[in-house]
Amino acid sequence: MAQRTPSGALRDRRGRSASGTRLWTWLMLPGTLWMTGFLIASLILVATLALGTTDPLGNPRFGFNFDNIAAMADPAYRIVLLRSLGFALIACVVCLIVAYPVAYSIALHGGRFKNLLIAAIVVPFFANYLVRMYGWSVVLSDGGPVLKALRAVGLADGHTKILQSGVGVIAGLVYGFIVFMIIPLYAALERMDLSLIEAGRDLYGGPLRTFFFVTLPATRQGAAAGAVLVFLPAMGDFVSAQLMGGPDQIMIGNLIQDKFFQGQNWPLGSALTMLMMAVLFIGMLGYLRRTRKDEAEAAR
Amino acid sequence: MTLRPPRRLHRRGTDRRPRLALTVTTLFFLLLYLPIGVVVLFSFNGQKSLTVFKGFSLRWYSAFFHDNVLIESLGMSLRVSLVAMAGSVVLGVALALGLVRCRTRLGSLAGLIMLVPLITPEIVTGVAAMLLFKGMDITLSSGTVMLAEITFSISYVTVILRSRIAALNPEVEEAAMDLGATRWQALRLVTLPALLPSILASAVLIFALVFDDFVLAYFTTGVDPQPLSVRIYSAIRFGVQPTINAVGTLMLAGSIGLIGLALAIPRLFGRRGGLDLLSGK
Repeated sequence: MAQRTPSGALRDRRGRSASGTRLWTWLMLPGTLWMTGFLIASLILVATLALGTTDPLGNPRFGFNFDNIAAMADPAYRIVLLRSLGFALIACVVCLIVAYPVAYSIALHGGRFKNLLIAAIVVPFFANYLVRMYGWSVVLSDGGPVLKALRAVGLADGHTKILQSGVGVIAGLVYGFIVFMIIPLYAALERMDLSLIEAGRDLYGGPLRTFFFVTLPATRQGAAAGAVLVFLPAMGDFVSAQLMGGPDQIMIGNLIQDKFFQGQNWPLGSALTMLMMAVLFIGMLGYLRRTRKDEAEAAR
Repeated sequence: MTLRPPRRLHRRGTDRRPRLALTVTTLFFLLLYLPIGVVVLFSFNGQKSLTVFKGFSLRWYSAFFHDNVLIESLGMSLRVSLVAMAGSVVLGVALALGLVRCRTRLGSLAGLIMLVPLITPEIVTGVAAMLLFKGMDITLSSGTVMLAEITFSISYVTVILRSRIAALNPEVEEAAMDLGATRWQALRLVTLPALLPSILASAVLIFALVFDDFVLAYFTTGVDPQPLSVRIYSAIRFGVQPTINAVGTLMLAGSIGLIGLALAIPRLFGRRGGLDLLSGK
């Protein structure tokens, strides 16, 4: 039913006026057009160029052939893709294992220092990514404090290396993106009804049992969100593999970078980019199905 | 054995200190700050070494201030950040207002488009932006970096401001209109001033993010001058230069200062919790 406000504006049922909708649309338009023009158009361009070719001079040409897509089956690419997936997944798991106790300690035992502690985690994350990575590579280097400490307690011998190995790359990814895991986990733990833990204890569940059967399931969605937030940038990262892994540990991001800067084969680079996007898309679909199920269960 | 008073329900579940979790947390904080501490410490090293600290000196800072290439890069990064900040705040604030208030089909489409940069790895947006500029025959320069950074930052402004706008009481705006203001006047004289702290805070944040951004800048920058983070990248790829420690320390100090400012702005306006950055809510 249309109604009139004292000012006389005609409103629809939900109380919004026609003039308002027009103004809000006008406000929305510039940003949306900008993003469509620069972002959506450019992503379509990458998808299109993946079907293109290079002419004899190495210039990219638009076309319609699937050579670049077929090239993705090349074992050399498959190894790099599988390695990237593996590194990103392991980084996710390590982030979860480290982030959970951190988020748990702060959310449940942080007391009045909660906000301060979370700020202390977030602030370094805003510092320059390269500077942080560089510092991390110095810390993990052969003469660095981490290896010295490990050697002192007998966990490493003189030959153990962290840099120039897969461990180094994963350490880099974890250091780079762990904050994305901590924040959603912290939010989930903060929201959690603590009387659930209490109930678990009342039913004679030990601390471990209560944790695995009560706390962990209750914060599952936070962990899933964190996993996606870590996995996305970890898959696309090329700095960690370059600084901490060296040429034997390259990830798909390094291949893409190489095709665009050194190799100058843009169609192939575009195809690699689309391959990465496809893998991430499948992962996202899995995540969305999972959360849908959880929400449906919660609604029941 | 003394009789203990019964505890309140919600406390008992959490009163035991989980020693393992606290140990991991302590170790985590140590490792989180160790790399940063190393960069800061060795920026004051009297020697070129990265493992042995020999005497306090400011020589790497003076080396930085005498390095024309790095200073030019600093200037470019500052220019890019300023322009990207202004552009993305104007577009992002308008977009956020529109998205919250306009529930049409176009609105939900715009909401989806806005999410794209947040769920796309930066290397993909970087590659895509570079291809777009090359395809349109635009020479890569500071201008292309600015355009790319604006595109990327709009989403952040919108995400930050959306919840703020949704939390505003629309009746205040309506009251202004009942008193004779047009919708535009109500927006300009009532809503925007109420949002000002959040807008300023998000602007500061965008400045810091763009200044520190590497991937997007790397793909969209031309040859000379290059943004500071791209310079740092090429420097640390080809051997270690202690000057980078000094630059890194200055950038760290700048970022931390800006984040502090962004968090403090809502409080300066006498409001608590203006930016829900930290709580993740």
